[in-house]
Amino acid sequence: MKSKLFTYFTCTMLFGLLLSFGVQAQINLDDYKILYKFNTTKQVDNTRLLEVSFVARNNEDKTDILPLYGADIIFYNEGDSNDVKLGTVQTDQEGFARLVMPADYKYITDAEGYINLKARFKSTDALPSKSKSLAVKDLFLELVCEEIDSVKTVTLRAYALDSSMTKAPVEELDVIFSVGGMISRMPFREETLEDGEFEFEYEANVPGDKDGNFDLYAFIDDNDDFGTVLVSAKTNWGTFNKQVQAKKNTLWSDVAPIWMYVVLSILLLGVWANYVYSAFNLLKIRKEGKAIEDKK
Amino acid sequence: MDLDIRKRELVKEFSPMLTKSTLTSKIWIGILIAVIATGLLAFVLQVVKGHEVTGMRDNVVWGIYIINFIFFVCLSYSGAFISGILHFFKTPWKNAVSRIVEIITVLSLIVGPIFILLCIGRLDRLHYLFLYPRIQSPITWDIIAIMTDLVGCFIYLYLTFIPDFAILRDNSEDAPNWRKKLYRFLAIGYYDTETQRKTLHKLTRTMSAMVIALAIVAYSVLAWIFSLTLQPGWNSSIFAPYFIVAGLYSGIAVIIIAMYLIRKFYHLEHYIRKIHFTSAGIILLIVSMLYGYFTFSEYFSRWFSHKISDAHLLETLFGKYFWQFILANYVGVLLPVFILFFKKLRTIPLITFASVVAILGLWLNRYLIVVPTLETPYLPIQDTREEFVHYTATWIEWSLSFAGVAAFILFFILLMRLVPIIPMSGIIDYERDQDSKKHKVSTQN
Repeated sequence: MKSKLFTYFTCTMLFGLLLSFGVQAQINLDDYKILYKFNTTKQVDNTRLLEVSFVARNNEDKTDILPLYGADIIFYNEGDSNDVKLGTVQTDQEGFARLVMPADYKYITDAEGYINLKARFKSTDALPSKSKSLAVKDLFLELVCEEIDSVKTVTLRAYALDSSMTKAPVEELDVIFSVGGMISRMPFREETLEDGEFEFEYEANVPGDKDGNFDLYAFIDDNDDFGTVLVSAKTNWGTFNKQVQAKKNTLWSDVAPIWMYVVLSILLLGVWANYVYSAFNLLKIRKEGKAIEDKK
Repeated sequence: MDLDIRKRELVKEFSPMLTKSTLTSKIWIGILIAVIATGLLAFVLQVVKGHEVTGMRDNVVWGIYIINFIFFVCLSYSGAFISGILHFFKTPWKNAVSRIVEIITVLSLIVGPIFILLCIGRLDRLHYLFLYPRIQSPITWDIIAIMTDLVGCFIYLYLTFIPDFAILRDNSEDAPNWRKKLYRFLAIGYYDTETQRKTLHKLTRTMSAMVIALAIVAYSVLAWIFSLTLQPGWNSSIFAPYFIVAGLYSGIAVIIIAMYLIRKFYHLEHYIRKIHFTSAGIILLIVSMLYGYFTFSEYFSRWFSHKISDAHLLETLFGKYFWQFILANYVGVLLPVFILFFKKLRTIPLITFASVVAILGLWLNRYLIVVPTLETPYLPIQDTREEFVHYTATWIEWSLSFAGVAAFILFFILLMRLVPIIPMSGIIDYERDQDSKKHKVSTQN
């Protein structure tokens, strides 16, 4: 395990040097396949995340994956005539390059309304150039959590804007509903939106935080037209306060079985009654002694 | 028999024990006080600096304090048990030992619980045990049992002392005023009338039965503190009877040693005879065989079960603690059995020697029950300090332990200055019974 970690660390360092300074590394690149992936996620605050994963995977040992860090990735919004450069980001130590575009950014779209995005890596002495493109439509999700006639109701609406900026409901869209946790989201329902809207009664028993609050998410996972889209809403439907409170330790708590009290009480009463009886008889002896002393 | 004359004779015979101090006794008392003072100094250091000054740490949280606690409390329970049996069955030779046993019972019940207080890291939270007890916890049962037993033993001891206080009150003309007043107060107007005698006998008899039952209950509760846990070496169904037998073993041995010392120091050869030693020796022999049988059963079942945790414990016992194990469970049992088994070896010094070996063996056995178990936890410990998983008692713990023993002996000596170690009322009762029997026989003839 230790030697593997050492190898991992050394290789990563060497790749870094290779990319930064163009120094020939000791690793034989023929043994590795370069994996270059590009995807986009529309986040809960409507910002758009552009993410490239750039790693080298060993051809024989598929678990031997070396992140290529320090590589310059240039992101573009492709247009009919020219590409608009969105920004340049270096891959981090895990091989990821991430660019977050503001929510109000005006993308160039094609005739069908698709945003064409491209992520490009320019070749170096050691590595060839890489480029990936994708096209997504801008999807808008509205998630509403409200109590209607004491029924906890979740409503999700999905629409896209057409060329005349009119809301067009999206059909046949797979969506995953989940609740936010400390580390990741916990899915609790998967549905398909038929006509741009879906409504259901929330019945899951989720504790939430100490006030019963938690975030509810709707998640479109890598859709062909829209990519990955995430939306969230805050609710106070947590059941935390309904938990049984720990009882204080007290002598007569009902935590101990009843027979324990009964046996203990009988034993103690029996013994202490005998002590009292002894004390009472000693007083009688004393009384009689006093009478004898008085006679004397 | 003129009772008044006989009582006067007995007081005259025993009063040197109560009043006169020899140089040897003064030196002994001085030594005992010095040992107690050292213990008090150690106690102050422990309170100021905390348990850091002891060998107890995160894993081995109990050390020789708990061993002393078990030892003294067991001694007390066995004393109560033996004393109850002597009184309840009106054993013919009870006069020689009954008071020794009663004093041992009460004193060890006072000294023993002090050691458990020394184990507590935060003494300032001691009252929480009473404010927030968990009735499901054997510790709570033990607190209730010890307090109830202590009160019971005090009442019982006092009941057996009353006739002697009365005799001393009526026959201590030359005694200092404070002593006279003390005897008058403690005798609570007892004049040995028919009614008073009957009432007192009835009470003593009831209390003697009570203390036998109490001793068994309290003994078992003490054993359950260990055996109701899942710790290897403690989780055993026979721990309660094992503790009872072990307690009796130590109790009888301490009585024999006390008889030997008192007989030698106060020249009571007339009252504490060889027959008393032989009888106590035979009882010790029977109990030692029983104790050996329980010890064997305990370790045999652990060895045979091949459970990993038990195997680790036995490895520790037969490895790191090899000699202690041999001394405690082989020498500590087999040597007394060997000495007491052969009639020719049943001499007073050898019976006493067997008792000393039994006491030391039993104390060591207690050590082996507590410490190696805590040094062999269920979960393997990594990257911890060596001292956290290995225990060595510090001088603080040893000095407090010796202080406890010294306090026990000192209180014993002081109590013997208050009442004679041979109950005068017992001798009178015995002689009165003999007279009435003779009278019956002569009337029938």
